[in-house]
Amino acid sequence: MDDQGCPRCKTTKYRNPSLKLMVNVCGHTLCESCVEMLFVRGSGNCVQCNTPLRKSHFRVQLFEDPAIDKEVEIRKKVLKIYNKRELDFSTLKEYNDYLEQVEDIVFNLTNNIDVERTKQIMEQYQRDNKDIIQRNKAKLTREQEELEELLLQEQQNSEQKRLETLQEEQRQLQTKRKNKQALLDELESSRLPAAVLLAQHKDRAVQLETQIETQKQNVKPANIFSTGIMMGQTVSFASVSRVEEVLYVYQPLCIDAYGPPVPELDQLGRLGYLNHVCTASPQDQAGGYTSGLACHRAIQDAFSGLFPS
Amino acid sequence: MKLNIDGLLVCFPYDYIYPEQYSYMLELKRTLDAKGHGVLEMPSGTGKTISLLSLIVAYQKAYPLEVTKLIYCSRTVPEIEKVVEELKKLMDYYTKQTEAKNDFLALALSSRKNLCIHPEVSSLRFGKEVDGKCHSLTASYIRAQHHCNPSQPVCQFYEEFDAVGRQVLIPPGIYNLNDLKDFGRRKGWCPYFLARSSILHANIVVYSYNYLLDPKIADLVSKELAKKSVVVFDEAHNIDNVCIDSMSVNITRRTLDRCQTNVETLQNTISRIKETDAAKLQEEYRRLVEGLTEANVARETDMYLSNPVLPDEILQEAVPGSIRTAEHFVGFMKRFLEYLKARLRIHHVVQESTPQFLKDIYEKVCIDRKPLRFCAERLRSLLRTLEIADIADFSAITLISHFATLVSTYNKGFTIIIEPFEDRTPTIANPVLHFSCMDPSIAIKPVFGRFQSVIITSGTLSPLDIYPRILDFRPVTVASFTMTLARTCLCPLIVGRGNDQVAMTSKFETREDFAVIRNYGNLLLEMSAIVPDGIVAFFTSYIYMENIVASWYEQGILENIQRNKLIFIETQDAAETSMALMLNKNKISANGVRNIILIKCKRLFISFSFQPPVHHYGRAVIVFGVPYVYTQSRILKARLEYLRDQFQIRENDFLTFDAMRHAAQCVGRAIRGKTDYGLMIFADKRYARADKRGKLPRWIQEHLTDGSLNLTIDETVQLGKHFLRQMAQPFRQEDQLGLSLLTLEQLQSEDMLQKIAQIAQA
Repeated sequence: MDDQGCPRCKTTKYRNPSLKLMVNVCGHTLCESCVEMLFVRGSGNCVQCNTPLRKSHFRVQLFEDPAIDKEVEIRKKVLKIYNKRELDFSTLKEYNDYLEQVEDIVFNLTNNIDVERTKQIMEQYQRDNKDIIQRNKAKLTREQEELEELLLQEQQNSEQKRLETLQEEQRQLQTKRKNKQALLDELESSRLPAAVLLAQHKDRAVQLETQIETQKQNVKPANIFSTGIMMGQTVSFASVSRVEEVLYVYQPLCIDAYGPPVPELDQLGRLGYLNHVCTASPQDQAGGYTSGLACHRAIQDAFSGLFPS
Repeated sequence: MKLNIDGLLVCFPYDYIYPEQYSYMLELKRTLDAKGHGVLEMPSGTGKTISLLSLIVAYQKAYPLEVTKLIYCSRTVPEIEKVVEELKKLMDYYTKQTEAKNDFLALALSSRKNLCIHPEVSSLRFGKEVDGKCHSLTASYIRAQHHCNPSQPVCQFYEEFDAVGRQVLIPPGIYNLNDLKDFGRRKGWCPYFLARSSILHANIVVYSYNYLLDPKIADLVSKELAKKSVVVFDEAHNIDNVCIDSMSVNITRRTLDRCQTNVETLQNTISRIKETDAAKLQEEYRRLVEGLTEANVARETDMYLSNPVLPDEILQEAVPGSIRTAEHFVGFMKRFLEYLKARLRIHHVVQESTPQFLKDIYEKVCIDRKPLRFCAERLRSLLRTLEIADIADFSAITLISHFATLVSTYNKGFTIIIEPFEDRTPTIANPVLHFSCMDPSIAIKPVFGRFQSVIITSGTLSPLDIYPRILDFRPVTVASFTMTLARTCLCPLIVGRGNDQVAMTSKFETREDFAVIRNYGNLLLEMSAIVPDGIVAFFTSYIYMENIVASWYEQGILENIQRNKLIFIETQDAAETSMALMLNKNKISANGVRNIILIKCKRLFISFSFQPPVHHYGRAVIVFGVPYVYTQSRILKARLEYLRDQFQIRENDFLTFDAMRHAAQCVGRAIRGKTDYGLMIFADKRYARADKRGKLPRWIQEHLTDGSLNLTIDETVQLGKHFLRQMAQPFRQEDQLGLSLLTLEQLQSEDMLQKIAQIAQA
């Protein structure tokens, strides 16, 4: 690492420990001061490959090999477009083919093979899959979700543990203080000789100690969430795969009543059935009752089973 | 001797048996009957190995359908050899008893380095080189090339084995490493591959822990072993560390640099092959697209690496599209590598969990989790396709790919710690990325899940309940056995104070105290005057040892000690130490002098296989200080936290447990058998506390009386003198008989059986 240096001013990390190497999209290094000097106007060409560069695209070099920095940069860009998830494919094989295709694109872009064509392919893809890209932007892959979940779990665990120990300590402190106070009170009010009281107090203190010790020994294993889910169990939030089925279609019920056809509800009045049925009072109508309902039901009952089957 | 263990006829190759061996076998039988796992502790020097072997072999013979195989795991090659030796004795006894032809096949398996008989390859010094060279002679494509072009060198031993030996079963018998080599030489077959293919039908396999625990090797070697096997982990007192090591990865700046060259080589090879033989890459690509996993045929020899434990459903899946072609994969590795480099360039310590790491890597270099998971598998495929002969060079990139796979597979139980420098040298930049496994149960889980019974045994496993907890399994038997002794031949003493009443302790605040150092020196000086044979002194760390020895030298204590005994100080280099010891041994025996003081550090003891070969080397063992681990280490801290959260083991409990098992290992060296005797001196006042004392093995605790808890040096000398004089009286076998050594008749008596029932204690 110490022999890494700026190719332009030849300073190395060894000679200048505070040297900061920067890298741009072309994957060539320059030190910070050279960047400041060469790119005063905000843009310029790379010293090594003559690619036009912008100053704002310079990043601090993270890795020893600047090619990796370049690759990661490109990869991040590509992955923003190619963000299909495993669930978007019907088979694993298709997904794997897709992954390989992505890998190919990154490889080509990094090693400057067919850059123009690859870029075209990318643009084409972006146009074709606009909505998927948009949709998947916020979605994490399943594995990442799992990881997040684990991290969360870890955090909760450590937090819980910290709280528990804190509480435990506080409780111990309190009991000790109480014990001391009790001794003082007794010394004040009791008639027994002080020596006896002191001995009693000592006994009690020892008891307390052992109690605390035993409490410490049987620490409760914390492996269940309050919801009852085991802590080790991973709950996946991946969406359930869609099941293709024929939807249910309503079919009107058809009952053979073995009798003459019953007139429809709204025709009862016209046909004169309601003439001799007591009319519904306003109170009854408030609940949705009409005289036709009862009449209709009565006719249904009367008609059914009239014909022999 | 033929024993009846709970209705099972067991042949025991010796005329006498220790009562605890009988009890041990009883417990073992119960474990096997229950088809469960067991944790058994029995003191060193009481014949654990032979009890295990004779019972399990008898069980295998009696119920061949219940237990088909015994897998015996030990730690080092000498230990493996010793086990095979015992097994030979047992089998000899069987043939003598039954006079039938032995139909048992038992063999030891070790690395290529220990088994190779190829004249060129076996002359290489390092295991890695041997593996690489062997691979360059036996890989499938090399052999294919050899077909068209006979000048391409291949290993004739492997060719021979592949042509003839694969179909032929190795004749039954007991094979240690040398036997295998001899057999291979006679037949002209490669012993390593012979052993590897034979373990599938062998009755007993003896090999090292890693073949089962390290997922990279286990997948290759032990994958097809039958479920109905019994697995024994001997000397398992730090099995948790072995498990953790097998899953952890450390990455330094140098690894990354070497990996960089690897990547460049890969890139060049790819572009070369593209010009000459594009079809090959195309073929690989086609295979990956279709998601075909490696054909098993070529797997045996082409061991670049196999997958660390990956869930099967992922292995069945096709490699993700983003790393399918060779160039894309190399680009992917490059990005990953640069990312790691950037991470290592920090100036402060970072600790993060695996999800955090994965999130960061996605944000920085757009690497998803899925391709990371397939990294190891993909690299393997690529290396195979490129036909790179020497894989030894590619260890760096292999390591990185392993790391990638592990980090993306496990969410829990691992932590990533990046340290820009070592704690001891804060000015020298030496960045390391520790990918540290904190949960030993991850590595050992497949073993417990797979095999019918797993036995964990050692001389020092106390406290027994902690092993099932940290390894996360449910044993059916947990037992500790004491040593029945005809005389109290061990004398543990805890020295807490010097003659000047200053407390002796290696506690951090006082360890550099002048008085403490002087008192330690006095203790060793006094002991060197009264102990007739060798003394072994253990320190808690190398730095501490060096400090103390230096100030002893200044104070003239060392000179005084040298009047009584030779001093030998261990160095950090294990090879150098054992070499020096060998030379010294000759010198000692030439002079007829047996007086030597070994000063060693306990932490390196694990890797250091020195065991006093003769009783009198360790007549007294002194442990200076409590051997706590370096508690400021971040890896340790992370592990402690994990243990507390997951297993409810408190930090302090684990630290004490760890320290005490090391201390117990140290003092355990004093007793090599029942006729041996030795002083065990714990030179730290903290040993007297109940929490430390209670964690010592039961067989030591028993002899630790209240009177020997907080002694001064004077008192220690008195007690020691008394003990040594008593022990130095002649001791014959007859004295032991009936008490700690039993004949068959004695064993069958009613009250003895009752006594034995009390030995085991859960």
